[in-house]
Amino acid sequence: MDWWIEPFALGFQQRALLGGIIAGVTASVVGTWLVLRGMSFFGDAFVHGVVPGIAAAVVLDFPPFLGAAVAALVMVLGIVLIHRQTALKEDTAIGLLFIGMLGLGVVIISRSTSYTGSLTTILFGDALGVTREVLVGQATLAAVVVSVGIMLYRPMLALSFDASKARALGMRPGLTHAVLLALIAAAVIGSYQSVGTLLAFGLLVGPPATAALVARTVPAMMGMSVAIAVVSVVVGLALSYRLGTAGSATMAVVPIVLFFLTLALTRTVGWWRRSAVRAGVEEPPG
Amino acid sequence: MSGPAVAARADGLLLAYGHHVAVGASSFVIPSRCVTAVIGPNGSGKSSVLHALAGLIEPAEGALQVLGTTPQGTRSKVSYVLQSLTVPVGTPLTVAEAVGMGRYPRLGLWRRRNDEDRRCVQEAMDRLDITGLAHRHLTELSGGQRQRVYVAQGIAQSHEILLLDEPLTGLDLVSARTIDRLIHSERHRGCSVVLTTHDLSEARAADHVLLMNGRVLASGPPEEVLTEANLEVAYGLGALHGIVGTFLDDPAHPTERGPIG
Repeated sequence: MDWWIEPFALGFQQRALLGGIIAGVTASVVGTWLVLRGMSFFGDAFVHGVVPGIAAAVVLDFPPFLGAAVAALVMVLGIVLIHRQTALKEDTAIGLLFIGMLGLGVVIISRSTSYTGSLTTILFGDALGVTREVLVGQATLAAVVVSVGIMLYRPMLALSFDASKARALGMRPGLTHAVLLALIAAAVIGSYQSVGTLLAFGLLVGPPATAALVARTVPAMMGMSVAIAVVSVVVGLALSYRLGTAGSATMAVVPIVLFFLTLALTRTVGWWRRSAVRAGVEEPPG
Repeated sequence: MSGPAVAARADGLLLAYGHHVAVGASSFVIPSRCVTAVIGPNGSGKSSVLHALAGLIEPAEGALQVLGTTPQGTRSKVSYVLQSLTVPVGTPLTVAEAVGMGRYPRLGLWRRRNDEDRRCVQEAMDRLDITGLAHRHLTELSGGQRQRVYVAQGIAQSHEILLLDEPLTGLDLVSARTIDRLIHSERHRGCSVVLTTHDLSEARAADHVLLMNGRVLASGPPEEVLTEANLEVAYGLGALHGIVGTFLDDPAHPTERGPIG
């Protein structure tokens, strides 16, 4: 039992755990819709897209929340502009903004005196350096994101089903899509200080994708995703403590490993069931 | 389910997507409590007319009234079953929940389902003979079963007009017969049904027909609209050999189902 308790005995370790769990719960609610709508590439681009805003905040010393929010807005507007003004598909627009914003972020942070350290902190967070103030801000944003995500369950489900059908049902898919983008932005911005932008993305995609392998309804997918995210955070932090590895990066690896374990398990069970059915069919009556 | 004798009326209706005109200026009437078939070659604007009736696209020119008001104003009374919906792979959605989505216009964002909502969903599943599939995943169903789910979703919505975009295309016999029976029972319940089709016999079985090719070429009772001369105009000379069969040949956009006979 000590193996699990010792990594969370001290205050900074408990704050790291709490920050990771809040990030996991927030990301699971938003990430469920992200995965169902096939927007993972957008999510990936988004977590890199906020880097210049955070970098500018580090260099110019203003609140990182603000910088990330402005960068997120620029990113979305840029994608919409390219998509509407050209015949290019949305993934091309996302790709352009993805690399452009990440490059800009690195350019800005390279003006910082601690270039490598700042960039690593943005991408991978500083799980063990999370303060009480950061947790309060993260929890507040998480409460808003989870509440809105649950309140908009019907429009989100209709939009995941089909955009035209959602419109025919009066579920306003355009507005719903815009709110989903805002929720993704809020989930990333709220979590990056404790877990970094890359783990924020890992939690947005990993647990919901794993849950999608076994869940039969969207609420079940959301619930399983939350459970998988919490397990990932606890296991990731414990492993990080025991192995002496980076906390956020270790947490980021766990949900991906869980995905492949679940995939292997579901495929094995499926194969075993099919084999049992075949054996039953082929067995001679007697 | 009382209402005006005319379910929808179009005057000089022109529908466009950006600069592309989908339906040229057309005037027509959709009678109330009747089955109206919209027939024409692929790309002739059939689905665009249904989109406009459902309030999904606005007229670029002309006027369109549905149940005496604008399509947007009456959207909750119009149920639209779209053509060939593709359920995203991996969407964890059961048949019961998919049919239940038909109640969303009544439920709004937060209202809890009441007995009336549950009754409507159950009745819709019963009528489409999919109650036994209620807990199955959409992705576990055949194409015909899935189409029955989408139609059930449409009729679970309390509606006065039911729009069906090619509801019988490519279905197995059981599903096609179940949906065809439902279409006619909806009319007997006082509902106006508008469906698009490539099937001439299906159009002939309707009460009213719109014949299209880039605009509404003719409208009225099937025997007046589906004449050899009108079909020749709509489908071109090369299509005439298809008229003796069930499905009309489409010289501009050949489909997977060619002419019979």
